[in-house]
Amino acid sequence: MSKPLKIKLHVNGVARELVIEPRVTLLDALREHLNLTGSKKGCDQGQCGACTVHVDGERVLACLTLAAQVEGREITTVEGLTPDGAELHPVQAAFLKHDAFQCGYCTPGQIMSAVACIREGHASSDAEIREYMSGNLCRCGAYPHIVAAVREAREALS
Amino acid sequence: MTPVAAKMKRGDSTDGGAASALGSRLSRIDGPAKIKGQARYGLEHHPANMAYAVIVQSTIPSGHIRAIDSKPAEAAPGVLLVITPDNVMPLKPITTWTGAPSSDKPYLALTREINFTGQHVAAVIAETFEQASEAAGLLRIDYEEKESIPSYDDPKSGAGNPLDAMAVAWGDAGRAFAEAPVRIEQTYRTPREYNVPIEPHGLVAEWQGDMLTVWEPSQWVNFMIHNYAEWYGLPDEKVRLISPYVGGGFGSKAFALGHGAIATMAAKMLNRPVKLAVTRPQTFTAFGGRPATRQTLSLGATKEGNLLSIVQKGANETSVDGVWVEPLASVTALMYATPNLSARQNIVPVNTVTPCALRAPGENPSAWGIECAIDELSYEVGIDPVAIRLLNYAEEDPHAKKPWSTRRLREAYEEGAKAFGWAKRNPKPRSMRDGHHLIGWGVAAGTYPVRRTAGEALVRIFADGRAEVASSGIDMGQGTYTILAQTAAEAIGMPVEQIEVKLGDSALPGAPVAGGSQLANLMTGAVHKAATAARDELIGLAINDPKSPFRELQANTLSIADGVISPPRGGESMSIAELLRRLGRDKIEVQRDTLPENANSAADKLATYNTITRMRSPTDGDYSLHAWCVHFIEVRVDEDFGTVRVSRVVSALDSGRLYNPKLAESQWKGGIIMGIGQALLEEGLVDPRQGRVINNNLGDYLIATNADIPDIEVISVGVPDFHASALGGKAVGELGIVGVAPAIANAVYHATGKRIRELPITLEKLLGD
Repeated sequence: MSKPLKIKLHVNGVARELVIEPRVTLLDALREHLNLTGSKKGCDQGQCGACTVHVDGERVLACLTLAAQVEGREITTVEGLTPDGAELHPVQAAFLKHDAFQCGYCTPGQIMSAVACIREGHASSDAEIREYMSGNLCRCGAYPHIVAAVREAREALS
Repeated sequence: MTPVAAKMKRGDSTDGGAASALGSRLSRIDGPAKIKGQARYGLEHHPANMAYAVIVQSTIPSGHIRAIDSKPAEAAPGVLLVITPDNVMPLKPITTWTGAPSSDKPYLALTREINFTGQHVAAVIAETFEQASEAAGLLRIDYEEKESIPSYDDPKSGAGNPLDAMAVAWGDAGRAFAEAPVRIEQTYRTPREYNVPIEPHGLVAEWQGDMLTVWEPSQWVNFMIHNYAEWYGLPDEKVRLISPYVGGGFGSKAFALGHGAIATMAAKMLNRPVKLAVTRPQTFTAFGGRPATRQTLSLGATKEGNLLSIVQKGANETSVDGVWVEPLASVTALMYATPNLSARQNIVPVNTVTPCALRAPGENPSAWGIECAIDELSYEVGIDPVAIRLLNYAEEDPHAKKPWSTRRLREAYEEGAKAFGWAKRNPKPRSMRDGHHLIGWGVAAGTYPVRRTAGEALVRIFADGRAEVASSGIDMGQGTYTILAQTAAEAIGMPVEQIEVKLGDSALPGAPVAGGSQLANLMTGAVHKAATAARDELIGLAINDPKSPFRELQANTLSIADGVISPPRGGESMSIAELLRRLGRDKIEVQRDTLPENANSAADKLATYNTITRMRSPTDGDYSLHAWCVHFIEVRVDEDFGTVRVSRVVSALDSGRLYNPKLAESQWKGGIIMGIGQALLEEGLVDPRQGRVINNNLGDYLIATNADIPDIEVISVGVPDFHASALGGKAVGELGIVGVAPAIANAVYHATGKRIRELPITLEKLLGD
């Protein structure tokens, strides 16, 4: 359980090698071992969504995923979201414009969920956005602004 | 630390140029760092050779630890140290936030005496987080359990201790109630509620010799370094706390807590940096939330609905080893004109962690009581819920007997009612429906005082055309970075894009707590003063310095706009940067504070920033200073299932002048949303046997999700109030939540004919008898 393994992770288009115990979660691998602290730890038990990242384009909770499970798969975190040469991803730009965050701690998870939610086609109405964004808790209460941001980003991306 | 710059063009068409002045809707300047994942929060610092600490908490509510066998944990792979009550480092007692000594005995972060389930009893420090977590499960703790009092509903708790100092009385309230033609008497209750910032508490601590550096989210940097310094017998300058980003606090991140003592002592004992993250379940007992409250309100009135008397008997839970008062009369004795009032409050010690501040402590449960009760009275006398509030409108502060500085509450009722469509309301309960949904419209008012403490700020104008603002005050999402950049830009006459703001570092000029909704008002005042002085110094140099090209103009003054200095009646202009270069100056630097001139010594500054003793009461002076709001809320209640959904919210709020309406609206809405959760979802469930908070996680302690929240309309009805603050603002952050829960309960009554007087309003209460 605790014998370290050599693991190769492909994060934000870069191959990263690290020696970690097999019980290390993807979230702790990113935050504690790869200096990628954009993905947040809010509960460490899959309840708040702050750790949401993409694995092969699909949203997963990095706190409920072992790093060793995603070896060889494409991991995208908020740090890797912005397209080359662009200042901001359309979802990020919409979050800024609509003030869809306050403290900012749940925000990377919200943004990663929003990107996937739009890509999945689950942002067709405000009601659907609310439902599909409900796995990401925001204690500052930015929800109506998050809905407005996702709605606008959906238009920008379509 | 990284300054936050307003450089980026921010999408919104109102951004940039003159439209970025104070009062404009500039997007938050710390936004780009947050949305790109570049903002480093406290636990995201990683000094070399860092070890990881994990806390172990008690599983009994009361008693004694006979023995802790830490050998298996110590022998586990990677374990560096196990701290228990047997080897905990005694720390020196501190001065509390009220300026009083906490104790004359050493502070022990871990003790063998247990006063509540979830009390810290040990910590394991290991090379990795995983090793520390595993070893934490290997501690063998032998407890001797004593009888406990799990909550104030346990008969053993008794009536508690009266707080005579909190009592409020005028007239003869008991007799006036007894003789009143119309009488309402009911008890209103709120459960334990928790702050639940999404960033859990924790810190990274590092010692270099006798210098301690702490990276920790903080609402009050200056108090926390003072606390750490006192624990270790150091001067404040030997502790540095760095907190540029705070992932939510809501009242819970103002103090150094037990886990801070444990992490800093572990770092000292091991002579290496230590990270300690409180786990989400542990956050429910590592610090307290809002205590459970109950209040019996007796309202006496005329048949026409004029209040004759208010009698309040309240109580809140506290711990057996600490005192927390949730002031239940704060709105009761303020909102309505009544010739007679009496309010008394007890605190009831139970086996729990000492409760603490959660958004609008006092005002929130106080408004829950009075705003439900006045609604009940409106039905009793048969008049509209808005009308009864206007009928009993307080033309002056009924307690302090002073005029309001500003009270735009009538305007709030008027504009809110208009936007909501209140005139179309059928007053009869159960009269409005849509299919199997019963529809209810409810209203309630709220208020929050204007708290005033002094602050200080450093402003620098550089020869490269930038300017910098610095303060130890913090931004946990209120928008401090942004409004201080706007304040400096306006006062100096520079584009906001050229301003950088540094916050949340004890090495910077001091600030009092970011709490009580005071920081924006006091810091805009301090920054405005420092930035104006910097501008004056710049103009003085331009007029008088022999190297200045403006000198020969013999002008009395010059104007500065958009970073360019111009003579008053035309002539050649020059940028600030160019002037400073010509003068051979690399910068102009000005620090100013807003302390009284007869009380601004170094000791005065410490007392101002380290304690709340210099915070002025809202009634200190000629006026009574408060922010006001009214919430109009529509609920839809499923008649068969008793489920309640909030479907519409219109709130009209008087926070005085808004420094940045975009960000103020976000805070208002955030408070309203937290209030919707409070009304319908939030409740710490206490196991009556062990006093354990059984829903100590985010899956079981329910806070509002996106799907629980409709669109919310907020309307600003405030006007600048220069009695309240230097630049005219009043309270924002804590105001929005006050009155939301009673507005929902009142709407639920209107929908169903059923009055729920105990939060949260859940389906079993609606379906039950």
